[in-house]
Amino acid sequence: MTDSPQRTDITFEQVEVAYPNGQTGLSDINLHIPAGQMVGVVGLSGAGKSTLVRSINGLVKITGGDLAVGDLHLAGLKGADLRRLRSTVGMVFQGFNLARRTTVLNNVLMGRLYHTSTWRTLISAWAKDDIDMAMDALERVEILPRAYARASELSGGQQQRVGIARTLAQRPSVILADEPVASLDPPTSHVVMRDLQRINRELGVTVITNLHFLDLARKYSDRLIGLRAGKLVFDGTGDEADEQAFEKIYGRSLTAEDVMDAKPALDGA
Amino acid sequence: MSTELRQRPAKPRQGWKVALSILIITALTVWSAIGVGVDFGAIVRNWSNASDTLVKLSQPDYTFWPETVQALVETVLMAVIATALSAAVSLPLAFLASGVTNPSGWLRRITRFVINVVRAVPDLLYAAILVSVVGTGALSGIIALILFDIGIIVKLVSEAIDSVDQGPQEAALSAGATWTKAGRTAVLPLAMPAYISQVLYTFELNIRASAVIGLVGAGGLGVLIDNVRTFYHYHYLSLIILEILILVLVIEFFSSTARKRLAR
Repeated sequence: MTDSPQRTDITFEQVEVAYPNGQTGLSDINLHIPAGQMVGVVGLSGAGKSTLVRSINGLVKITGGDLAVGDLHLAGLKGADLRRLRSTVGMVFQGFNLARRTTVLNNVLMGRLYHTSTWRTLISAWAKDDIDMAMDALERVEILPRAYARASELSGGQQQRVGIARTLAQRPSVILADEPVASLDPPTSHVVMRDLQRINRELGVTVITNLHFLDLARKYSDRLIGLRAGKLVFDGTGDEADEQAFEKIYGRSLTAEDVMDAKPALDGA
Repeated sequence: MSTELRQRPAKPRQGWKVALSILIITALTVWSAIGVGVDFGAIVRNWSNASDTLVKLSQPDYTFWPETVQALVETVLMAVIATALSAAVSLPLAFLASGVTNPSGWLRRITRFVINVVRAVPDLLYAAILVSVVGTGALSGIIALILFDIGIIVKLVSEAIDSVDQGPQEAALSAGATWTKAGRTAVLPLAMPAYISQVLYTFELNIRASAVIGLVGAGGLGVLIDNVRTFYHYHYLSLIILEILILVLVIEFFSSTARKRLAR
């Protein structure tokens, strides 16, 4: 099978993203993310967190440098090659992005679209293997009993876990999570982050998550990447991210707004 | 109190715009009426004639009923066939006509242009042309209705597609789906209520329209209307009008019930 987890390192070399309006999205980003790492991306809004994450699956086009996912280079990648890359890179969204009027299972099956022919897709004739993979994915996030429920009937936290199941059905080597808990309350946020962490630990999938809250990022990441105005200003472990590092990322000291759980403390996160 | 009043901004004076608009619309209406020679006096002058007809129209001759059954059934069948075929053809066209589901600019523009041309021609004109090409009868009527329906369904459904939540589609595309697959799995479920609702409404329109296009020989009740009208059988005509009224009301009841359930 082509979609079994394999070593997929991600390498940024002098990556630039300039938006058509002339605004800089990313500038001179150099990063090597080895397969299996759990990475948190932090920074102020507008710092380029989302741009960084979305460049990895080509939702944002890079305008300079070289970005490689495994043996595929993002620059100029399009058509069937881009779809092949995307089939191995799952994405979890802030707004869940579920088709709310259809079933949970149908949403998870979207993760199998790359491997399903057009005519089978048009008449919804899913292969048994694909349905099995979708059900397995639902079991992993503990939503299996709701497989035939309408997506809109689920709570926000459950909907995000369906979103995670959809990426798992892809059998991905990388999962990108773009502000996955920004629409959720704190307890549910922890549940979703633990799901992502478990997937990283148990399946060896690289997980790259951009997060607004520093304490969440520190708690659930092996490695923190700090962005400010499109530039890489911090790259290290959560423990290395001291007050000085925060000032570099945020341009000011830590406040209560930068953490999810009550006190603005660096320890005990 | 006076200080408070002074602090408020002056109310913008826009009344003249409304007055001007009313003036322009009134002028256009009067000018149009003069242009086509509307003569309201004719209603009064022809009153004795009109009242006689109205009296006949108010007394439907129910004994004519058996002779209308065939045309009535034909009207319904024409509407069913035309609705089903146009619904099938319109769905893929609606996806091609929407910017959300069709990334190709030139293909989208061509589709929209063709649909706009198709929609610009009135159903009666289609029927008149088809009767002269295909011949009189239900087939001409059905083709006329299909052309008319495609124009409406594609236009309205593609607009519904334009306004669906694009999040699911983004998710499907970022999982490696083609635009076609993403459209089928992530957009269609969201556009489905608008599509079915539009198809049901089109069926209602077809019942009404098939009564009219029959006037030029394209089958259905219209043919019968044309016959009885030519011979001034107003008692018969009023029965046919009554039948159409009941038919439309019944269909409207069922389709509006169905559409309300779909809207959930």
